Amino acid sequence: MSHHAITFNDLPEGGEKFDTAKGSKLIGAFLVTGLIGLVGSLWKYSTDSDSFAYSWLFAVFLAFTVVVGACFWMLLHSASNSAWGVAIRRIWENMSSVVLVVFLLALPLLTVKKLQAPLWEWMGLERQAIENVEAHGGDVKQALHHMAEANPHVHVLLSKFGYLNLRGWSIRFVIYFAVLWFIGRTLRRKSVAQDQDGDIKHTIKARAFSCIMLFPFALTATFASVDWLMSLDFSWFSTMWGVYIFAGCAWVSMAITILTVTWLRSLGYLNHIVTDEHYHLMGKLLFAFTVFWAYIAFSQYFLIWYANITEETRFFLTRNTESWRSLSIFILFGHFVIPFILLLSQPRKKQTAKMVWICLWIIAMHIVDIYWNVIPERGPSVTHGETWIIPGAWVGDVFALLAVVGIVGYVFLRGLGKSSLYPWRDPRLLESINVVN
Amino acid sequence: MSTTLKRVHGYLAEFDNPQDLYHAAEKVSEAGYQRWDVHSPFPIHGMDTAMKNPRSKLPWLVFFGGMAGTATAFTLQTLTQTTFWGDIGLGFIERLAETYPTVVQAKPTDFFTIPAFFPVMFELTILFAAFTTLFGLLGLIGLPRLNHPLFASKQFPKFSDDGFFVCIEARDAKFTQEGTKSFLQEIGGKNIELVEDEI
Repeated sequence: MSHHAITFNDLPEGGEKFDTAKGSKLIGAFLVTGLIGLVGSLWKYSTDSDSFAYSWLFAVFLAFTVVVGACFWMLLHSASNSAWGVAIRRIWENMSSVVLVVFLLALPLLTVKKLQAPLWEWMGLERQAIENVEAHGGDVKQALHHMAEANPHVHVLLSKFGYLNLRGWSIRFVIYFAVLWFIGRTLRRKSVAQDQDGDIKHTIKARAFSCIMLFPFALTATFASVDWLMSLDFSWFSTMWGVYIFAGCAWVSMAITILTVTWLRSLGYLNHIVTDEHYHLMGKLLFAFTVFWAYIAFSQYFLIWYANITEETRFFLTRNTESWRSLSIFILFGHFVIPFILLLSQPRKKQTAKMVWICLWIIAMHIVDIYWNVIPERGPSVTHGETWIIPGAWVGDVFALLAVVGIVGYVFLRGLGKSSLYPWRDPRLLESINVVN
Repeated sequence: MSTTLKRVHGYLAEFDNPQDLYHAAEKVSEAGYQRWDVHSPFPIHGMDTAMKNPRSKLPWLVFFGGMAGTATAFTLQTLTQTTFWGDIGLGFIERLAETYPTVVQAKPTDFFTIPAFFPVMFELTILFAAFTTLFGLLGLIGLPRLNHPLFASKQFPKFSDDGFFVCIEARDAKFTQEGTKSFLQEIGGKNIELVEDEI
């Protein structure tokens, strides 16, 4: 109540600036991890690029989901005119600004044909059609049509050609990153500008901007997952796919937010700013998205299982074979049941020491989830259906994961030092600090 | 007039504003009273902490209510549509209920047709949990009831307008006619009234 309330007298002028030297242990660990991963990745790329393409897609998409999640929380926070999260908003702003690094890491998937060929079979078919385009009056679709006569499988691609073609895919690839970059940069700029002048107009403009940008954001999250993951098998489709991936994005970025806040507090920052109540609120959102993910994941499975249509069931048949089956069941418990039970209790959400372990578990499960979405396609695609799992290919997965997590983590934590750790002149900062829920 | 029997309900004290009420609540709970309550026209943030109220038992009721819903849906569906109970050696339940498996769309008739049952399990979990929340809450707070002793007080109706009250009940072990009254005076209570209810 009122007599405990924090006022501006308790807060330092200029906010709290993060001294990266204080966190150098973790930041350095991320850098070393990233460099080791990068060297290993180059080695795996040069020895077995077909298998490694999947590793790289898995790792890069993982980083992409974190950026999507960070953008989502910022947009939601501004669009819903919330006050509670002002204290932790700067963390999301920093998290979304790693988008450029993620883009650089993703660039090989856009430019290197050697990586694209094993991943997206339809690209190979289209390139084949482009080679034969002369015989069909310069029309790629006609050339594809001709190929479909010999290989009926291509008919599916033909019917999707209006969307699923190389030019469209490449343009969209850039647009996805551009949208996320635009969202992150605009909101961050407004927020940092407010640190300088304390003008409320930045808050109001950010709200209008977020309401508008939620729409392109939703399209980005949906179609990025369609373009990069769903089209790994161009004959497969699921209308739940975009929202399924999105649920994981929001989930993991909230877990990372809690971890980052806890880490900063352990270094002596944000101690007047973030309270038990914030942990409770963040824990509740984490819990909500645990349930939301399960709801969507089950709905997707349920509809496909019930309808039993050949093109649709292939996705789950692959993941129900050999050791993928064990992983599927593990995800059911690890991604839903365990976090659900752990996050049910209200007092536990306020215990930072326990929340750290829960968040680490959640991040690990999100990694497993993305792995489970990407990698099972590798065996059948690369070996043309001979094996489900390529022996030794997991080494490339580990290196790719280390490289991307290390580099993105390093950039993210370094970026925390660029401005105050919280928007110190936001008009609703005190309301957020003294939040009770 | 004065032949009717009366029972002492407790002392009622008025406070000027939410702040005073909040601090009064802190002092009453510190003094060790157990049977007492505060009354205000609107919810006051943090009052639970000031009153040192223990956590409600309702979440546990709701949890088991929800689980009962899951179990009901599971049993009902597996019993009427699968061979599950026979498979685990409890075939007599199936014979007792005279049920037989439903074969539909080449789906299995054993336990592994369970995805089809999830929607109902989910919905009944929610339904039972919602019912437990509503009726559990009513049970725990003792509603509905026809009357309340505090309604005998002439000043008490202000609690739904602009009055902030603390009431320490006579059934509290620490309650004494003089001690409690002077205690309420000490912590700043006004219009202190001994509320007596007709039996």
